Amino acid sequence: MKGFCIAAALLPAVALAQAEELENPGRVAAVQERVYRMNQELSVGVGTLPLDAFYKGFGPQVTYTFHFSDTFAWQIGRGMYSYAAPTSLRQQLERDFGVLPTAFETVQWMAGSDLVWSPIYGKTSFLNQSVLHFEAYASIGGTLIKTNQNFRPALDLGLGVRLFTSKFVSYRLDITNNVCIPLKFPVVNILNVPTIILSVALNFGSPE
Amino acid sequence: MKPALLAALIASALAAAPAPQPAAAPPAPGTPASPAPAGTPPATGAPAAGTPAPGTPPAAPADAPPGATPDASDAGTPSSAAPATLPPKVDPKIFDEGLSLYFTANYKEAARRFYAYLEAMPQTDDNYAWAQYFLGQSLVKLKLTHAGAYYLARIARERSNPEVVPRALEGLRELIDKPHDETMIDEQVFAALDLGFVGGETGDYANYQQGLLDLRAGNERWANTHFTKVTEGTSAASRSRFAVLVTRLKDAREINQELIQSFWELGHDTKLSLETRNEALLAAARLRYEKKDFKGALDAYRQVKLPALDPGQASLYLEEAWTRYNLGEIHTAMGVLTTLDAPSFRDEFLPDKYLLRAMIFRDLCHYLPAKRAAKELTRKFAESLEAIRERDDLTRDLRMVRAASSIGPTRRAYRFYEALQLEGENLGRYAGSFGDRLYGHLNRLYVLAVAEAQRVYEARLRDSVRQEADKLVRAAEQVRIMDYEIGLKLYERIKRGSKLVKEVEEPPLTPKEAGFPFDGEYWNDELRDYRVSLKSRCIEGGVDQ
Repeated sequence: MKGFCIAAALLPAVALAQAEELENPGRVAAVQERVYRMNQELSVGVGTLPLDAFYKGFGPQVTYTFHFSDTFAWQIGRGMYSYAAPTSLRQQLERDFGVLPTAFETVQWMAGSDLVWSPIYGKTSFLNQSVLHFEAYASIGGTLIKTNQNFRPALDLGLGVRLFTSKFVSYRLDITNNVCIPLKFPVVNILNVPTIILSVALNFGSPE
Repeated sequence: MKPALLAALIASALAAAPAPQPAAAPPAPGTPASPAPAGTPPATGAPAAGTPAPGTPPAAPADAPPGATPDASDAGTPSSAAPATLPPKVDPKIFDEGLSLYFTANYKEAARRFYAYLEAMPQTDDNYAWAQYFLGQSLVKLKLTHAGAYYLARIARERSNPEVVPRALEGLRELIDKPHDETMIDEQVFAALDLGFVGGETGDYANYQQGLLDLRAGNERWANTHFTKVTEGTSAASRSRFAVLVTRLKDAREINQELIQSFWELGHDTKLSLETRNEALLAAARLRYEKKDFKGALDAYRQVKLPALDPGQASLYLEEAWTRYNLGEIHTAMGVLTTLDAPSFRDEFLPDKYLLRAMIFRDLCHYLPAKRAAKELTRKFAESLEAIRERDDLTRDLRMVRAASSIGPTRRAYRFYEALQLEGENLGRYAGSFGDRLYGHLNRLYVLAVAEAQRVYEARLRDSVRQEADKLVRAAEQVRIMDYEIGLKLYERIKRGSKLVKEVEEPPLTPKEAGFPFDGEYWNDELRDYRVSLKSRCIEGGVDQ
């Protein structure tokens, strides 16, 4: 009886799907050649290290990436210099409480390498006048961070979006978090170094 | 399909070159040539916009031509009186004033002064032709193109000042890419006058027009004497070749490979406009289709270049769909038919579309959708078919009129008629600044031009509407046969143990391709790329009868 009730309940839905298939059979998709394909990419950008309460880092970044396919790439090299601009909190601590400047660990530069996976490729309409193509990607890799105190290895995870303007030029926005690996156990001193980078990327070579 | 394609080919090929106006045809019964467009400037008898209301002091400077002697001022006079009065005397310096206003881009005031000068001066005056020229150019700059062309054409015909004629011809040549009076410019100026003294692009265009006239008269040898004078490597030379090819095609008993190759080469001639290049490629594609070279035809269709985000022409897609169907690419053909359902083509008159869709569904044994697609034609065009059956006046059938107005000479006539109406409406904006005399004169000019354009359009419409009706009746006939065939298939008995035919595997996406599933939203950049995935329901091993 229970089975009959379930079947009776499901029957209209199944019949509806069948009727729809009979009325409008087939699926339609637009299949287009990818307008923008990356091969070897050199990007130059500027970024910030916005999270630390005691200083804000600003600086340039250069990367070189090799794209194995439209969805998978290796960011072979990535280097960023950071100029640390102290916040008012740090200035207050140093001035009013005599905290030594060396007590604050600040990033001076970092270098790393990542694997990049870009599963999303799409297009959007701009004011109904033009079509903009973009892709979104995630990255994972390792970074070596040089602070004013020592070298720290880190694992980085990031998300990014790329806006194509031509076959050779695109713009990238990368948001990455570098999680520094604690080396002196049992002292757990995890340092998060998030970065926001805006860069222009130049594409060389043919993907064929 | 074959006669339809050939007719379409010739019609569209001829459309690339301006056609002659037909001989004066009787006006359509019950359709008087009412010239007054919506928003037409006030007719004679009504006070002009610049005329002061009764009881208010007349604003003399607004309507009197600058430089006019006070006793001759017609300010404050109702516009009805203005054309009848003698033109006011003007100081000859008004010409210089007009020039300085023209070169400071004050075209409204410049036009008014030049017109006042033309009215007051004899045709033998040294500056008369120059005043006509600058008046014409001022009007063109004010987007009163037809009025401007009228003055430029007058200079070319009167030839009172040889220095001005080449400039006037150049001015006219710049107007021919937009809807224009073909009789006044192409036939009465470029094709009719002896313009051997004019060189450059204008001379080339004149030779092209004169050759075209000879071609239409059926004299290719005379036409070639004009075409050989066209500078090699110019767009006029390419257009001349195109015109000769189209004429040969019309006269050809058999389509030869050389003719197709010539169209193909013209389709890649960058000196031609994109539109003409596309016409040449379409011609090559249609000829290949006629020769059953479907692969070659498809190649030519794919070579047709559209401007970025331009939806393109419905006929291009439909022909491509037929070609793909004949190549056995029925899924892609169905995708192209999906394109034809886009809003840009919703009002297009494409009876074949329903027929082809029904054929594809039938081939894949989707009989109910096939039946529905076939019936869609008779449902959608029920009123037009009824009008044809009842022998009604088809020029009153909106759908047929829209279809007929979108092809060849009728399309050109309609576009010119529309442009004139728009310019007539725009003229109202200058009622105050032009003054009564110029405004009244231009108003009459536009009223007459609109009436003539309407007459020409209606004459061409009657012919085109008949062609479209033929097309519809033929398609309806085929749909009825298809409906019958499908009805038989629906009731066929399946043999015991029969299986569905083996599914043809769809090609997977290559790394170079990106797929965007269609959810009912049409993107102009995707219109040429739809692909339909549709399983066959046909039975292997046949059926019992």
